[in-house]
Amino acid sequence: MSERNYTTVNPCIMCQPIGSVMAFKGIEDSMVLLHGSQGCSTYMRLHLAHHFREPVDIGSSSLSEKGAVYGGSENLKKGLKNLILRYDPKVIGVSTTCLAETIGDDISRIISEFIEEEGIGDERIIIPVPTPSYEESHNSGYIKAVEAIVKTFTLNDSKKEIFNNKLNVVLSENISPEDTRELKHVFDSIVGQNSYILLPDISETFDAPMTGDLHKIPLGGTTHSDIADMKNSAATIGLGITNDNKAVNYLEQTFDIPSQNLPLPIGLEYTDRVLAALSNISGVEIPDEFQKERGRLIDAMVDSHKYVYGTKVAIYGDPNNVLGMLSLALENGMHPILVVASSKSPRFAEQAMERVKQVKPDCDVTILEDVDFDTFNDAVKKAKPQMLIGNSNGKYIAKEMNIPLIRFGFPIHDRVGAQRLLTLGYKGAMRMLDRITNTILEVEDTELAAKWSEPESYVPLSESSFHSAEA
Amino acid sequence: MPEITSVVDTLDERKPYIELKQANKSGELACDSTSVAGSMSQRACVYSGARVALNPVTDAVHLVHGPIGCASYTWDIRGSLSSDKETFRTSFSTDMKELDVIFGGEKKLSKSIDELVELYNPPVIFVYSTCIVGIIGDDLEAVCKEATERVGIPVIPVKSEGFKGTKSDGYKAACHALMQLIGTKEPEITSEYRINILGDYNVAGDIWLVKPLFEKMGIQVITSMTGDATADSISKAHGAQLNLVQCSGSMTYLAKWMMKEYGIPFRRVSYFGIEDIAIALRTTAEFFGSEEMMNIAEEIIEQETNRIMPEIKKIRSRLEGKTAAIYMGGAAKALTLIKGFRELGMEVVIIGTQTGKRDDYKEISYQVKDGTVIVDDANPLELAGLLINQKADLMVAGVKERFLAYKLGISFCDFNHDRTVEFEGYDGFLNFARELDTSVNTPVWKYVGSKIEGAYSEGSRADCEAEEKTKASNKITGERNMQKIDPITLHQEPVA
Repeated sequence: MSERNYTTVNPCIMCQPIGSVMAFKGIEDSMVLLHGSQGCSTYMRLHLAHHFREPVDIGSSSLSEKGAVYGGSENLKKGLKNLILRYDPKVIGVSTTCLAETIGDDISRIISEFIEEEGIGDERIIIPVPTPSYEESHNSGYIKAVEAIVKTFTLNDSKKEIFNNKLNVVLSENISPEDTRELKHVFDSIVGQNSYILLPDISETFDAPMTGDLHKIPLGGTTHSDIADMKNSAATIGLGITNDNKAVNYLEQTFDIPSQNLPLPIGLEYTDRVLAALSNISGVEIPDEFQKERGRLIDAMVDSHKYVYGTKVAIYGDPNNVLGMLSLALENGMHPILVVASSKSPRFAEQAMERVKQVKPDCDVTILEDVDFDTFNDAVKKAKPQMLIGNSNGKYIAKEMNIPLIRFGFPIHDRVGAQRLLTLGYKGAMRMLDRITNTILEVEDTELAAKWSEPESYVPLSESSFHSAEA
Repeated sequence: MPEITSVVDTLDERKPYIELKQANKSGELACDSTSVAGSMSQRACVYSGARVALNPVTDAVHLVHGPIGCASYTWDIRGSLSSDKETFRTSFSTDMKELDVIFGGEKKLSKSIDELVELYNPPVIFVYSTCIVGIIGDDLEAVCKEATERVGIPVIPVKSEGFKGTKSDGYKAACHALMQLIGTKEPEITSEYRINILGDYNVAGDIWLVKPLFEKMGIQVITSMTGDATADSISKAHGAQLNLVQCSGSMTYLAKWMMKEYGIPFRRVSYFGIEDIAIALRTTAEFFGSEEMMNIAEEIIEQETNRIMPEIKKIRSRLEGKTAAIYMGGAAKALTLIKGFRELGMEVVIIGTQTGKRDDYKEISYQVKDGTVIVDDANPLELAGLLINQKADLMVAGVKERFLAYKLGISFCDFNHDRTVEFEGYDGFLNFARELDTSVNTPVWKYVGSKIEGAYSEGSRADCEAEEKTKASNKITGERNMQKIDPITLHQEPVA
């Protein structure tokens, strides 16, 4: 469509509260209660269930007209009380919606009152995270929630101050449960099993094994003692470089913990960077396992180069994931003609440009951010990529353009396995590259099949010849 | 006073909403009220009610006035199909930001409408209000009224502020929006018998298996609301002589209005299940009082039933005696499902809805057998407890309930937006039967909760030895020596 100034058509982003929910889902024994009308929590449950294919419970204060007029304090307190009665979570994240913010409810005050009235002690932690839906996006909601979690835990447990010689690893963007498992494997192998604290950790909570049992709150997640212990760590790594990782900054400023922000380890070079940093921080050589994996990735890159080289791709989704995929595409000689981040972030464009200059300076690339799918659609039509890489919402454009879509990121609601998608590390890069290459081969096959005539030797035998063979 | 049950563990405040049907006890289930805060209701909001009821209007621009989330989460989730335009599958939002909240969103909305008219040239724009609009006081009606005059197409406000009631109020808001269109154009009359299909959303193409049946009976279907409806066909809805209402929760309100406004009576019907389809066709023929039409209806019923029966019987033999749990948005679907399950030899053990009313639950209670649990506005923990207590083999509901059932090792059938096969009409019922067959009889369920058998574990060794002793006293077999190999000795083998 042509120029629009007032309407958003087919949004690329979701609202802040869902980001907060995703962060809290990576914390052990926690629940989120959204202060707002009933629909918000239900819609987010639906959205997350479609992607992760797991039961997702999110509480709601079920604000009604009365609550909206006279303030939602009563509803919020009742919601908290019932949530505790039914789920008994040790940690409750309370996030606001546009409704709660606009009527001006001060959730911190209401929560303090609730704690006092109900006589809630240290055994339960309630964390307010204001996330008005009319500001920013799901990505900022995630960062804000992670910061609030770290702040609350490190304040609540101020007595223990023993240097633990651990490494904090703080994500600034949602990754898949499988990616989280891969990250943990990398950290286990290089830094050591009990020598790092990963926050948030959705490896189990959003991808629980089927046992026949239903847990009210899924097992797994970063433990409370670990989060409280983050202030005693030796260093912090923030994963994701396009946004300010507020939790990382807070830990550095408040507890003097040196930190560095690294890209999500997607593709060869970004994974190299993360592994090198881990090796340096922990003073450990990179284990043979990863050297071999890296070698296999390069082998895979050699296998694929003839097929993927020069392929024009459009990559879209959340900024750090897109940046990683851009890097992977460039390393493999692809032509990322269009690179789009769902939400605005301070360093996405700059980092993306830098990566292009490093690998393929002559590459003509359009970088967009904070746009809707309609704008992206216009850009796709202009740039004419041969392939899309991004979430399910690009399927309409892919269909219209008759080009393949490689599903990656969030949300993926029209295919199974989003929770098992592996993109991170050398292994993830191999998987991704194989998917890309095989998709290209699939397209080539179809095109070739149209040109081929059936070779004579393959003309099926007539029915009678089968009978004669039998006889 | 309703029977306060301990059918399942729940909050005290929720207990009146759950009832165990027992003989001679006609309790009255609590229902039709706002959800209990923190109870984890499966319901959505007023906006969602309006959105599901109105969104299938295919050629309309559905513009959501509010922050981005409301449009994001409802983009193309309805599963309704269109035989023509697909405008309704595009998500339009005014994407209100902080400044719009402070200074009001009216101007942005007006400009947004102008822009969309220019770009999409739609026959109608529905403007949905969300929570925030109700708080900051944007005058949606005034903006839409002005816009209608300015742009020359109806711009219709849908008053669906999320917090102002329940999902049912959203249905009403959608009906009010439809009322603005009905009667604005003159229908082309092609038959002396004319109906509207109300409360069918053409999910997976349901209507396309139903409409031809009526057409065979010589009936003109003026519009279907809102599945596969166009603004044009809705405008002519007053040309019908009868409204057939399926999803009564969403469309009875409109049907009653059409009766008052245009004198068009309505009948409640369902196109699901062999018995209910037959009733729908007969009811319609009876209404028109045409013997010829009744004969055709009987012919259709006989032919079609005979056509699908062999396969239905085959499937029924595999489903016989299995138990089902129903949790639906509206009561009409829940009711028709009871019959459908019966036709497939299955027994309903749990039945619940998000938006059922007093009369609906009375009817449900009448239809189910003793020992069935009836529940209003259930939540995941209640549903999980009920599924276990009532020993359900299958659940039929929507996406949120799907993974809950799966985790418990219970099969599931989506009768909501997510299905991609038709369940209405004769072939639809066949599809439904096939899906239940797949769901219940897949071998995967036997693996849920299973363990690796025959592996060594610390605990199992002691058990094994105890078992050995009892075995030894009975019978000594050659295999015994094999089992006696101490796993520790295996571990002690030299490692190269």
